[in-house]
Amino acid sequence: MVNEIFEQFHTVATAPRAQMDSYLKQGKKVVLTSPVYTPEEILHSMGFVPMGAWGADVELNRAKEYFPAFLCSIVQSMLELGINGAYDGASAIVIPSLCDTLKTLGENWKYAVKDIPFIPMTYPQHRKPAYGIAYTKAGYERVIDDLEKLGGKFDASALAESNRIYNRHNQAMRRAEELLAKHPEITAAQRSDLFKSAFFMLKEEHTELVEQLIKELEEVTPAEETIPVIVSGILTDAPQLNAIFDELGFHIVADDVAAQSRQYRTDVPAGDDALTALAEKFGNMDNCSVLYNVEKPRVQWIVDTAKARGAKGVIVAMTKFCDPEEFDYVMIKKACEAADIPVTQIEVDRQMKQFEQIRTNLETFRDMVNM
Amino acid sequence: MYTLGIDIGSTTSKCILLQDGEKIIGKSLFVGGMGTDSPERAMDSILKSCELSAGDVARTIITGYGRKNFQHGDGEVSELTCHALGGRFVFPELRSVIDIGGQDAKVIILSESGRMSNFVMNDKCAAGTGRFLDVMATILQMDIGDFDACAAKSSNPASISSTCTVFAESEVISQLANGVQREDLIAGICASVAARVSALARRAGVTPMVCMSGGVAKNGAVRRALEQSLDMTIEVSPLAQYFGAIGAAIYAHRQVVKETR
Repeated sequence: MVNEIFEQFHTVATAPRAQMDSYLKQGKKVVLTSPVYTPEEILHSMGFVPMGAWGADVELNRAKEYFPAFLCSIVQSMLELGINGAYDGASAIVIPSLCDTLKTLGENWKYAVKDIPFIPMTYPQHRKPAYGIAYTKAGYERVIDDLEKLGGKFDASALAESNRIYNRHNQAMRRAEELLAKHPEITAAQRSDLFKSAFFMLKEEHTELVEQLIKELEEVTPAEETIPVIVSGILTDAPQLNAIFDELGFHIVADDVAAQSRQYRTDVPAGDDALTALAEKFGNMDNCSVLYNVEKPRVQWIVDTAKARGAKGVIVAMTKFCDPEEFDYVMIKKACEAADIPVTQIEVDRQMKQFEQIRTNLETFRDMVNM
Repeated sequence: MYTLGIDIGSTTSKCILLQDGEKIIGKSLFVGGMGTDSPERAMDSILKSCELSAGDVARTIITGYGRKNFQHGDGEVSELTCHALGGRFVFPELRSVIDIGGQDAKVIILSESGRMSNFVMNDKCAAGTGRFLDVMATILQMDIGDFDACAAKSSNPASISSTCTVFAESEVISQLANGVQREDLIAGICASVAARVSALARRAGVTPMVCMSGGVAKNGAVRRALEQSLDMTIEVSPLAQYFGAIGAAIYAHRQVVKETR
């Protein structure tokens, strides 16, 4: 039964276009949500289907008309897909301002993909103080205005309901992630499918499947532990990468991956005003390279989580040309080494065809933690 | 008990036959690595010279770039692990291995007890590798083996970009056109490789005792430039090119011992 549920995640994760077409056929409007964090709850409450747009492993050609080569390939591949019509039918795309490359994506998108309107979401650097929360809320109001132009209607009580739906999904994802840490027989590829499929399904539908998975996993006897590790980075969905993790016997007991657990760590707090509560959620978020915090708690979070989950090492999957992640890496490496936790860095991007360097790196890392 | 280690690199194939995990009883090296018949030839040659057959070998472990595609082994191991094991076999006090091969460069750091504690690899770039030297030797129409002696004559090493083989190639051609002496160019080329690799070594946390492995270890000019850049003595062994194969043979021996306990 567990594998059957994972098969459903896999089907969705590997065919986002079919999923989008299915929603469009049902008469729903789809709005694309760009990395790293967008206020999906707002989209959901206004009747849109939020669909994650994190690019794909494609060859970059047309995007190079707008971007230099030395830029994050996730963002470049999003633009490539936009230009090539892969997102046709979407009503809009929400792109947040969380890194310099995303800022340029929004501007380029306006010129390159004229049929899919660009909705900016400008977040404050200082998101925790009251003025930061007010700034975030103002940004959300701007998103709401743009969505209303597309036929959506904002209603505070509907947002409160969507906040609840998203919180329930967060809780399910966190519980599932905890359980996966105890089940080495669940492959890295299956784990990736669980998280990736969440981007392409309405959250209430995804929650139902995840809760089924939780129920099943709670009754399954875990296999013997292999090599428990933590994986950190922006994106680790490449099938070849996950195949290497599995082949070498790595069991991902926790992740600090932006496209995975980082999405589900923080719930919308209780509050009378649903929109303010959603802005407070963003204020409460942390432990991420694109969420400014001079104290860099993310570093200690990785060390503490590695210890708590019994990880033998930390694998940092560095997205090529990702400045925020590269800045954090030095601190992560030093903190892990100080805590006697082996750490290795592999470089990933959206155009990889050869994974042999990564394999050699990870094979050596396996020997390092095992010998 | 005999164990065999085969290191199939990008440009050469090396074999080491080990007795009881302690004594090297044979070695072979053939030019030609992955995608050639050199691995088979190296294996046949070592068995023949030791008067053994494949059936006499308890285990064969393959390492190097070609390790996935060679059919005659019992298993395969990363070349970094093998260079660490091989280096420590030759130098028991070893703490850092700088391996400059035909296609890449790697630095491996060992703990006092000999455990691998860190490693870094250059990725997708020929600068700082044997390939960089090959390209330069072709431009200069020289045998790479003559680099060492030629660089020793230099009194004013040329400045060569250490960032990109392609740019450095046009840089060397320009310098030749400007009349820069060949020995100064070669000294500059070797210093360029050393600059690139020493940055990698510092990043890994290079710690004495340091040794070089891989084909470029034979190049005294690169080694001296590295010593200067790192301000450390770098040991080199006549077996430097065989560290990977030695490590693979040791790994094979350890596996068999572990399984028979």
